[in-house]
Amino acid sequence: MADSKKSIIGKIKDKFIDSLSVILFFTVWELGPRLGFLKSTFVSPPSEIFLYYIKLITEGNLISHIGISLFRSVIGFFLAIIVGVPLGFLLGGWFKTFEKLVEPVLKFLGQFNPFSLFPIFILILGIGEASKIAMIFWVCLWPVIFNTTTGVKELDPLLIKAGRAMGLDKLKMLIKIVLPGATPYILNGFKLASSTAFFMLIAAEMMGASRGLGWLVWNAQVNYQIPKLYAGTGLISALGLTIDRLFKLCEKRILVWKQQAVS
Amino acid sequence: MKYKLCELNKKMIGFYGFAVILIFWQVAPVFNLIDTQFISTPSMIIEAAAKIPVELLIHISTSVQRVLLGYFAAILTAVPLGILLGGWFPRVNKFLNPLFQLFGQINAFSLFPLFILFFGTKELSKFFIIYWSCIWPILSMTTLGVKNVDPLLIKSAKSIGANKFIIFKDVILPGAARPIFSGLSVGASRGFLMIIAAEMLGSSAGLGWFISNSSQNNIVPRIYLGAVTIAILSYLFNYLIKNFENSIITWKEEANV
Repeated sequence: MADSKKSIIGKIKDKFIDSLSVILFFTVWELGPRLGFLKSTFVSPPSEIFLYYIKLITEGNLISHIGISLFRSVIGFFLAIIVGVPLGFLLGGWFKTFEKLVEPVLKFLGQFNPFSLFPIFILILGIGEASKIAMIFWVCLWPVIFNTTTGVKELDPLLIKAGRAMGLDKLKMLIKIVLPGATPYILNGFKLASSTAFFMLIAAEMMGASRGLGWLVWNAQVNYQIPKLYAGTGLISALGLTIDRLFKLCEKRILVWKQQAVS
Repeated sequence: MKYKLCELNKKMIGFYGFAVILIFWQVAPVFNLIDTQFISTPSMIIEAAAKIPVELLIHISTSVQRVLLGYFAAILTAVPLGILLGGWFPRVNKFLNPLFQLFGQINAFSLFPLFILFFGTKELSKFFIIYWSCIWPILSMTTLGVKNVDPLLIKSAKSIGANKFIIFKDVILPGAARPIFSGLSVGASRGFLMIIAAEMLGSSAGLGWFISNSSQNNIVPRIYLGAVTIAILSYLFNYLIKNFENSIITWKEEANV
């Protein structure tokens, strides 16, 4: 009992040491404006930002901003998955020569700077939700396709041969061998896609939107509402980190058969 | 002769896809498949470029200058810092790493208003946003690379009697070169991404401004021109880094994927 208790304390201690620099950073940030070595007109202390969150939530519009931002990124993300994963499978597994033909084109398209395409999306799809969702879709699509294709291509041919030797039909082969084999890559693609999705969404909202977190931050900057600016920035960062963590967690859950590499 | 043709075919296979798409893109309006009011054909884009070659060059050089400035400043700080942290001060690294990870994961774009607040709307804020978004991938990859150099190599170099400088120059640097370069290429693509966004939001020159200005004035071919130019630029930049990497790292065999 005492032993386990000690290990818990030890764990807490480890966590504390790990996050010491982060804690120190926040302490300096908190004390800076209060003690006056950072200008409080430019830098709001974290506690003030925290109070501001409560104000924003009780006054009612923060939740809706978060909601609309998440809604946009989730829709775009899932559309990209629905299109990208089957396409990646087809390119990686079944149409190899075709893949060779289109791969450079796809790579080049993936290189396209999404910001520079945003005006084009607006031009074609209008300034409503569709252009933002299309942009998210676009930035999510490439990592999903490329990673799925790589996953299918990197599959150990021995496994496929073994499957064939045991008389698996095509569907079973797909479900039992190709899919699990490619899953680590596919999930990696999802992870990349989710973080870029959120990143781009904020940019898209800053450039042309009337709701959403990106708009909130941009609006705060234009109106010189410093605590709101920090609050929005903090919230976006926290949300991005949370999404990242969630994906890592899912990855662990799904890939139970894969051993963790010690890094 | 036949063999040569085959070789050529293999090399060119990547271009066939491009050619087909370009031809389709060019011919589609003739068959009313796309509306040229919204989607400009390649010939229209080239025409737009031919009308304003000098202006376009000025915008290109402005953007490239901004990216390179921030990028090189980031390299100059991040690589030595990463080497120091990874190789000589592992404890400091352990202490600072979570904070750096946090900074690296923060959405650089959401920080842009803060940068404007601190550094104004002029060049300085753009420099810092590029610097900020380039520095974290380079730093973390450099630290990782130096940390993961095979200790056996260092020990064997020591046992032959190499001094610290030689170990650094001949063992640690080459050992960490791959990760450093991959950090550099991630940094470069982030830099290009951010500069366009930054120029779109607040600037009076550069390719990002060129695009947003053209879209405000509804000059459609110019929007496409800007988008294509940026894509080609970042493609070139990545290509250069890759080539530079391959010319420096000559000792590693190419893995055939």
